[in-house]
Amino acid sequence: MMAGILWLLLAVMGGLAVLPLFASGYIISFTIQIFMWIALAGSWNLISGFTGYVSFGHVAFFGVGAYTGALLVTQAGWHWLPASLAGCVPAAALALLIGYPCLRLKGPYFAIAMLGLNEVVRALVSYFESFTGGGSGISLPPILSIAPVYYAMGGAAVAVTLLTYRIITSRFGLRLLSIREDEIAAETMGINTSLMKLYAFLLSALFPGIVGGLYAWYSSYIEPLGVFPLLTTITMIIMCLFGGKGTVLGPVLGAVLLSVFQELVWARFLFVHQAIFGALIVAVVLLMPRGIMGVLQERYRLPRTV
Amino acid sequence: MRRAFVLALAGMSVSLLVLEWGAGPTWGQEPIKIGASISLTGTYAKPGKYTQEGYLLCEKEINDKGGLLGRKVRYIIYDDKSDPLTAIKLYEKLITEDNVEHVMGPYSSPVTNAASTVSEKYQKVMMASLAATTSIWERGFKYLFMTISPAEVYLEGLVELAAERGLKTIAVMNEDTLFAKAAAKGAIELAKKRGMQVVFHEAYPKGTTDFSALLIKIKSLNPDVITGGTYFDDAVATTRQMKELDVNPRMYGVTVGGDLPEFYQLLGKTAEYVYGSSQWEENLLYPGIKEFVAAYEKMWNHEPAYHSAAGYGACRLLAEAIKRANSLDSEKIR
Repeated sequence: MMAGILWLLLAVMGGLAVLPLFASGYIISFTIQIFMWIALAGSWNLISGFTGYVSFGHVAFFGVGAYTGALLVTQAGWHWLPASLAGCVPAAALALLIGYPCLRLKGPYFAIAMLGLNEVVRALVSYFESFTGGGSGISLPPILSIAPVYYAMGGAAVAVTLLTYRIITSRFGLRLLSIREDEIAAETMGINTSLMKLYAFLLSALFPGIVGGLYAWYSSYIEPLGVFPLLTTITMIIMCLFGGKGTVLGPVLGAVLLSVFQELVWARFLFVHQAIFGALIVAVVLLMPRGIMGVLQERYRLPRTV
Repeated sequence: MRRAFVLALAGMSVSLLVLEWGAGPTWGQEPIKIGASISLTGTYAKPGKYTQEGYLLCEKEINDKGGLLGRKVRYIIYDDKSDPLTAIKLYEKLITEDNVEHVMGPYSSPVTNAASTVSEKYQKVMMASLAATTSIWERGFKYLFMTISPAEVYLEGLVELAAERGLKTIAVMNEDTLFAKAAAKGAIELAKKRGMQVVFHEAYPKGTTDFSALLIKIKSLNPDVITGGTYFDDAVATTRQMKELDVNPRMYGVTVGGDLPEFYQLLGKTAEYVYGSSQWEENLLYPGIKEFVAAYEKMWNHEPAYHSAAGYGACRLLAEAIKRANSLDSEKIR
């Protein structure tokens, strides 16, 4: 069974690798956005899916990465790829700053703090106008070919998924899961829960930073409202829950299925698509609370590490 | 129970599918396709809808007069949810999948700024009908055209009028986004040039609904003129809250908002004595305006706003350019 899934994944990835050679710009652009959501939902999964600490402000790392990338390209004249990769540095620093005090608290405090964090970062970006352009945003040079962004974004999606697999098959992953199930019991077993949570949080902040930088390059224009919307965090959460939290392929499935669904439905039914989308999410949460992967794992006796 | 639920959901989807497909228009062979994405949902939905109606009226008129270069014109319009990321995807779709000849701009400056990079990449002409911020045009794009006057002069009329009447102090507020900021900046510069004193300038984030703190600050300064770089929702909210807080300047004007018929419908008497700034009004005496208004009201059953006129005008402009170039080639149209 595992071998079958592995072959399937390799075939899909092979197909995606040659896609830009023949597909239209629209298909490539659409796939880039799916890759973006895979990376973002997968990152959210690392902290919230594994430890149960819900982050309502994950888009803050995305936005910080976007601004870092955009500023490095426009002000320092960097190439877009290293500029995007550099986005993970301030994102991780921010995660350390907020995670160190807040992850020691139990209960909903972390979720609330993250919600506030996003607003604070956005306000700061708007305020330091001379540096960030404030509400006018930053225009980047237009891109002439989106294929390089496609591969970079695809790379980020694959990297997040591999990292999740690496974690779920490690002792570190088991420790995180034990925190989710019962934090006090985990502590009693000698797990340094604060430290483990902080590690998971740092890892989950890295890729949104990088993806943010890639987004800035891809969209060629960023503004505070465009890169710090609460909606982006909510989309990450929904995709992850839909696919199955705490699994490797859950965020991937969630991102792909929901993106495709939205694209098909929304183009045809402008005003009812949100209602249909909402009905779908309610149906999934009621009928399969552990997400698609949860159902598949139960029915086909798949290992926990899929 | 579960099955019934799924069936109901499926039934609903199917019936909707049939409805939408049945309504599609049928056309002769090979029309000239022109694409656009417009904010039909989301924050810019109101002015976005006027723009779309302008485009569609223009499409109808061109076709009634026998089309363009002997071919019918067909608009393909999608909804971008007022979201730049969606707009990028849609313009890729329009150009690479729907094979449109040229594109019209979306609504608002931020969306246009993102979307125009796509049309530029494919060297398609984009008639940006409703993006007024000059910085978009400072990016050096070759295939992008602007049809309305720049944001910086939106409040020019108001400030000039105030200066002529000898009003001395002005307070400026604006939404912290591309267009509104540029409009406020233009107003401040002009006010200073005309010897007025700018006593207050503050920006508020998009989506703000409570302006009382801002307005109380302004009230304490008691300026002669209050003006705002606004979109529709914030213009309505500030106007209403000024009334509630009894803020009474000698003059008060906004950018987008005061120019839409809905502004008056929502606010009633409160909307009186508010200066709006418009790119176009139906009582201007340009040729063709009466016909445009009549045709518009006949087609949509309500009066046009300047966004409709801008959309319509940009579309006619593109048609004229195509006619004069006698070709659909981007280079020739430019």
